[in-house]
Order: sequence, then structure tokens, then C-alpha cells
Amino acid sequence: MGKKRKHREAESDTNGSEANKEDAASERPKRTLLGWKEKPKENEDNATPGFRNKEKVLVTCSRRINFRYRHLMLNVVSLLPHCKKDNKVESKETKGATLNELVELRNCSSCLFFECRKHLDLYLWMAKCPNGPSVKFLVNAVHTMEELKLTGNHLKGSRPLLTFSANFSKDAHWMLLKEMLIQIFGIPKGHQKSKPYHDHVFAFSIVDDHIWFRNYQIAVPHNESDKVSRGSLEKMTLVEVGPRFCLNPIKIFGGSFGGPTLYENPFYVSPNQIRALQKKQKTGKYAKKVKAKTRRKMHELSNPLEPDEFADMWKE
Amino acid sequence: MAINPIDTGVFDEDDMPEDEVNDLGDEASDSESQSESDAEGEDVKLPEAKANAIYDRDGIMDKLGDMSWPQDVPWIHRLSVDVDRGQEQEVDVNDDLARELSFYTQALEGTREAYEKLHSMGLPFLRPSDYYAEMVKTDSHMEKVKGRLLAEKRKMEEADERKKAREAKKLAKEVQAQKQKERAKQKKGEIEAVKKWRKQRQQSGFSGGDKDGDLPFDFEDGKTFERTGKKRPGVAPGDRSGGKSRQGGVKGRKGMDKKMKKRETRDSKFGFGGKKGMKKQNTAKTTDDLRGFKQSDTSGNKKRKR
Repeated sequence: MGKKRKHREAESDTNGSEANKEDAASERPKRTLLGWKEKPKENEDNATPGFRNKEKVLVTCSRRINFRYRHLMLNVVSLLPHCKKDNKVESKETKGATLNELVELRNCSSCLFFECRKHLDLYLWMAKCPNGPSVKFLVNAVHTMEELKLTGNHLKGSRPLLTFSANFSKDAHWMLLKEMLIQIFGIPKGHQKSKPYHDHVFAFSIVDDHIWFRNYQIAVPHNESDKVSRGSLEKMTLVEVGPRFCLNPIKIFGGSFGGPTLYENPFYVSPNQIRALQKKQKTGKYAKKVKAKTRRKMHELSNPLEPDEFADMWKE
Repeated sequence: MAINPIDTGVFDEDDMPEDEVNDLGDEASDSESQSESDAEGEDVKLPEAKANAIYDRDGIMDKLGDMSWPQDVPWIHRLSVDVDRGQEQEVDVNDDLARELSFYTQALEGTREAYEKLHSMGLPFLRPSDYYAEMVKTDSHMEKVKGRLLAEKRKMEEADERKKAREAKKLAKEVQAQKQKERAKQKKGEIEAVKKWRKQRQQSGFSGGDKDGDLPFDFEDGKTFERTGKKRPGVAPGDRSGGKSRQGGVKGRKGMDKKMKKRETRDSKFGFGGKKGMKKQNTAKTTDDLRGFKQSDTSGNKKRKR
């Protein structure tokens, strides 16, 4: 990775960090052997064109994944041209280490790991790899792109617009998540497999403390697509392409697939617990029945019926 | 989790050429996926926050600073838009329609904003109609989608038609009843009018001799309805051949001759050959002719009749 990086960019990076330090140190110019060093103003301007987004996302899933969730993963792969798909990974306790290794092997900088448990629950790990944070989500309300109700379509590999609802700036962990989503779901500008034009838009919004994901195609009346004026902007409509899913953040870790816990969702209940609760409500049916029977018997014994005076009437 | 009507409502039909596609397979696969989504567990939250939940705000901010791109990265790298829709923030999660609508409007507003930015940068953003490249969904899949849309449309039309027919039927019944009532009323009215007219005439004592002239009927000669009085013996009324049809028969011996004659008369009277319909009808003459009755029959039956 280091080899590929252009010299100019490396230089600008160091300059940028220097500039930051200087800002911290109350604007004092740096002393060098030849005298006072000028503030690197023109270099700072160069810093922006020097920036190159080299995000690569590794997308994998655990073994024994559901077909539905596998399709969701494939949809995500088709949406992200800057991703690399890898083989399934055994979901064990040590999966974090293997995944880290895998990411390094594949030269990626972030990872999406779809972990399916009990063929029922899908967890999504979203990690920035060498040393960034990682987040574990529970995925709900999955609709894949194959569903026929989602009628839109767009170019494969065109860069999406990312829209975020305003409540992403509400709290620290949301801000972190937003930054991660931008880096992972945004396709790097000038990526080889990306196409020009922007004909779809991702909507991330927080409702009920969940992140809801939607993908829409941008449809503008045909004859006007060459030059869009303000009037046709009004006529612009969106058609949903899919997939849909809803992410419930569970935990945020400091490292990639591990490290100190930075955030823990205080409202989270694992689906296992929910199922256990439901089962518990259903249990004790037989015990209840037996109990009712014995109670009835006791009642009958304690209040015997008085003998019927007409009982023998028809006996003769 | 139902898909709201927006999704289908805004579907741009220009995207795909119209032709009839019916794919039954897709219906099955779709229903399957529907049931899957229904089976998905509903979300349960703790009623109140766990007390000991970790929230390391500083650590998060640190990490955010570490991982985020430098501040001066131009917008074109991020392509992210924050949409602030003020008071509309609170959306009921379980109301599918409202929720989807909020996502849709958020995306739409964000898109507009982004497009204005891109426009001001002078960058192209919409795919020209002659730019063909691989799409996320294959053509065969889009055919299926279209087939489903068409099927849905057809279904709706059929339902509409049925509804219309039902209503028309109901309406027709009403109209019929109305008509019958009207007819009855008219009839009644006419009868009344005639009665009234008659009464008036009686009151006026048929005085209007001059009025009599107005009547179009002319019975003076009394011959209008009479038949021509030509008697044709041995010819049935209505026999257009004039009885000749049977006179042309071969004449046999003398003994037989008498019988033959009787036969002829009988034939001509009761019908054998010729047109059947007319000769069985009574005319004024046959009604007056009482020869066929026996007197004794009536007298014999006197007792019985009483």
C-alpha cells in the first residue's frame, strides 16, 4: 500500500500533521537549521487534491448463513464496486483474529461481516480494519433486491449520494457511525470499477434508535435528462431499488473486531432472550392442567353433594 | 412489512418498453419472500435503559478523530448530505406508510441539494439516455418486475370492471322498476281520460251529432267487414283451389259413385287436402248455421243441467 502511494501525497500528509501541531502550539513558526520556517500555506492548499480515497471493503459472511441473508450480502456486493468478496468464515470465538488477518491479506481497509446465528438472526460487523473502531449491529427487516415490489434499477457501480437524517449529529456514537457509513458505503471517486453519473441515492435515517437503510433510483423525465433545470428537479422522483434493512447497533469496539468497548446499547435485548421469554410464556401448560385438576378434586371432596332424594326413584 | 404505494406509484414506465410479459414463477418466489419477512421476529426493546451500559464518549470522539478524513476533503469525495427536516422528526416506526414516506422525502430532499451542488460544479450527474452499461438488476429480472406490475394493473382493472358491472346491474334494475311504474301510471291515466271523456259525452247527451262526424269510422254501408257472399258449394273456406283439387279425382263405378260424392262433401267440409287453417275457423255463416245441432240433446239434458 505504501509503495503505491504517490510521493506528493505522503509529503502533504506529513505537512498536514505538522500544520495541526503548529496550530496546537499557538502559531509559533518552527525553527530549522537555516532559520525560521515559513508556514506551509501553499502546501496546505495542495493537501486537498492530494487526498485519495483508497477504501477497500472486504465483504464476507459466516458459515451456515441463511439464503435470504446471503442474498442481502450479494446485493451489498453488487452495490459496492470497491469491495472484495471472500469465502465464508467460521463464526467462532477467534473469528476476530482470522478476519483481521484476512483483511490484511486482501489489502482492505474495512470489513463488512455478515454473521448468521441459528439460521435466524443476522448480525452485521462493520469494522475499519487496521486500527479503527468496529461496530456490531443486529439486522432486522431485511428485503433483498430480488423482491419484485422494488421496481427501480440503476447503473452498477455508479457513485451513490449518501443522505443522512439530521439526528445523526445528535450523539457521539451516531456521529462515529455516520463517518463509518460514509467511508464504507461511499464509493471512492475515480475508482476503477465505478461509473460516472449519480443515479441512485442511499438514505440512512435513524428512527427508533435504529439505522434504516434504503436505496432509491433517481428518475427524471427522460427528455430532460441531458440538462437538468430547476423545473425538472421538481419533477424528479425516486424509485426504490433495494435492498432494505434496519441496523440496530449493539456495541462499538475500539479496535477492529475487538478492543475496548466504547458504546453499549442500553436498550438492546438479544433475540435469544426474546425467544426464551416467549417459550417461557408457553411453558407450564401441563403443570397448570394437573394443578387445576387436583384443585377441582379437593373442592369436590370438601363440598360433597347432598344425596339426591329421587336417585332411586326409577330403580324398581 | 408492507411496501407502501409510493414505490409503485412513482414507477417510471418510460424506463422499460411496454410489452406483455407473464411470469408465473416470479409470483411464487415473491410470495415466499413475503412470508419470510412476516416470519421475522418483531423488535423488542428494554423498557428502560440498562444502568451499567458503557458509554465512553471521549473514547468515541477520539476514535472519530482518528478515523475520519481530513476536514478539507472536498465534498465530491464524500457525496454526503444531511437532511434536516425540523419538526417532522418523530415518525411512528410501526406505521409503515409514514416511515417510508419520511425516508423517501429525506432521500428526495438530499438528492435535490446534492444535485444543485453538482450542478454548480459543472459535473454531469444524470445518465444520458444513450449511455448503456451494466445495471444492478439484470434485464430478465426487470422483465419479471414489469410482468408483475402489468399483472397487478390488469387485476385492478378487472376488479374495477366487475364493480362497474355490478353497479350498472343495480342501476338497470332500478331503471326497469321506474319504467314499469311509469307505464302503469300512463295506462291508468289513459283509462281515466277515456272514462272522463265518456262521462262528458253522456252528460252532454250525445248532443254532438256533429261530433259524430269526427269519428274516423264509417259504418254506413255496413259491409266493410263482410266477406264476399259468393257461395262456393263443396269448397272449404280458404280453399284456394276452389274445391277443384278433389274434383279432379278418377271416377269409379256407379255403386261407388255415391259414396265418393259423400266422401267428397265430407272432405270438403271437414278437411282433407287444401289449406287447413282457414276452414276450421268460424265465419258468420257457419255460426248462424244450426243444422248440425240435434234438438233432443238439449232437451234430454234438462234435468242434469238443473
